[in-house]
Amino acid sequence: MSAQINRGVLARILWRSFFFQAANNYERMQNVGFAYCIQPALERLYAGDDLQRAYERHLDFFNSHAYMTDALLGAVVKLEEDVAAGRISPDQVRAFKATMMGPLAAIGDSFFWASLKPFAAALAVAGIFSGVPWAPIVFLLLYNLFHLGLRAYGLSAGYASGERVFEKICRIDLVQFSDRSHYLAGICLGVASATLLDTTLHGPFALGQGLEFVVLVGLVLILFQSLKRKLDMPWLLYGFSALTLSFVVGLNTFFPLFR
Amino acid sequence: MTHSLAVDLGAITLLGALLALDRRAAFQLMLSQPLVVIPLVGLLLGCLPESIWLAAIVQLLWMASLTVGASVPPNETLASVVIGGIALLHARYFDGLDRATEALAVLVGAPVSLVGRWLDVRLDKENAHLAARADRAVAERDYATLSRLPLVGLMRTFVADGALVALSLIVGLALLVNLRPTPGGPVYEALGTVGTYILPALGIAVALTTLRRRRALALAGASFVLTFVGLLWLGRTE
Repeated sequence: MSAQINRGVLARILWRSFFFQAANNYERMQNVGFAYCIQPALERLYAGDDLQRAYERHLDFFNSHAYMTDALLGAVVKLEEDVAAGRISPDQVRAFKATMMGPLAAIGDSFFWASLKPFAAALAVAGIFSGVPWAPIVFLLLYNLFHLGLRAYGLSAGYASGERVFEKICRIDLVQFSDRSHYLAGICLGVASATLLDTTLHGPFALGQGLEFVVLVGLVLILFQSLKRKLDMPWLLYGFSALTLSFVVGLNTFFPLFR
Repeated sequence: MTHSLAVDLGAITLLGALLALDRRAAFQLMLSQPLVVIPLVGLLLGCLPESIWLAAIVQLLWMASLTVGASVPPNETLASVVIGGIALLHARYFDGLDRATEALAVLVGAPVSLVGRWLDVRLDKENAHLAARADRAVAERDYATLSRLPLVGLMRTFVADGALVALSLIVGLALLVNLRPTPGGPVYEALGTVGTYILPALGIAVALTTLRRRRALALAGASFVLTFVGLLWLGRTE
């Protein structure tokens, strides 16, 4: 760690990274957020014209995953130190950011959005259907253990390894975590469906004769196939609700003894 | 009662606007997920136990709402504030909460997610001014302004989302109270059926689409059968 970039500066960058997407815009996406996050380091490293040029290169287009950007911020701070010391040219920082934002976004999207979030939510939903009222707290703890851990690790690993940050992140093997998250989410959703069915069997709208099993499983299969065929959730919600309303009201009107 | 209802509407609006910031603009701690939003609204209104089931159903329905890349998905946070808010206000001030009322609350509140998406797109377009202001600030070496721009972005999101939540809560609650059928009637029975079968089944189906591995679907089926058989066995032996 250099004299200018101490733990305090990295801590300020980490704090600012929580507001990284506050000024998201369609033109240059998260450019203002990136410049805002790296500001404490730039003001330590540069002054005058050099500082202005440094800000200008961090207001370029930037789009990545919010959590993974901490790793990139750490690495860019390291590179900016090298630029300030005259060891590399400023264009290398620009090129590095442009090269790394895509791959890091892909890792972040596939791990956090497509794997961890559905798994943590499925676990909590299974907990709620099984009668565990504090399941939402488990959801928050599980998700943020990875989220906050990876943000803090990413920033320090990025600063320590500079341009080799991607290798460090790859070593965590988030792809394997993603695979396992999908399998665990599948198990949780199975448990959630079974406990939901069990609740329905004993609920006020039970149909009797084991019909609940047929209706719920049949509906899940039909709706799943419809969603796979790109039908939107809101269309299915209103469509199937309208059908059910017509069907049940019709039955009650023409066959009052049916229920 | 009217005064308390007004205060509660204001408190839910404030809470909703704050939680909406967590969705993308600040922190992203997942406090903005329906699983957390609806119990927090329940905690605020003093009806936490009633909120938990609804939170699980709404979470499942919007489970596939993912902010991947530059895509802007439906805003599940604003929808869950409105759905949870009107359902739990109904529980507190009107005639309790049951499956039929929950179903009606979801049907009334769901469009807010689409209006929320439209608002998110508008905010991102408007934020182009912030990028231009950042350029000007750097050109003028006014770096203090640059450090204030994210706060401006936060305030815009807070105000816009808060306004949408406030308006949706008032309209949604009026619709819920006036459209809710009399218990025991055929429409009530039908809404109860929607709340008991359609919403959970659609939620589970949406959640299953988030599984990107074929084997994960097989595991879901196997764990469903095993758990259900286990629950039946436990039920018979009790």
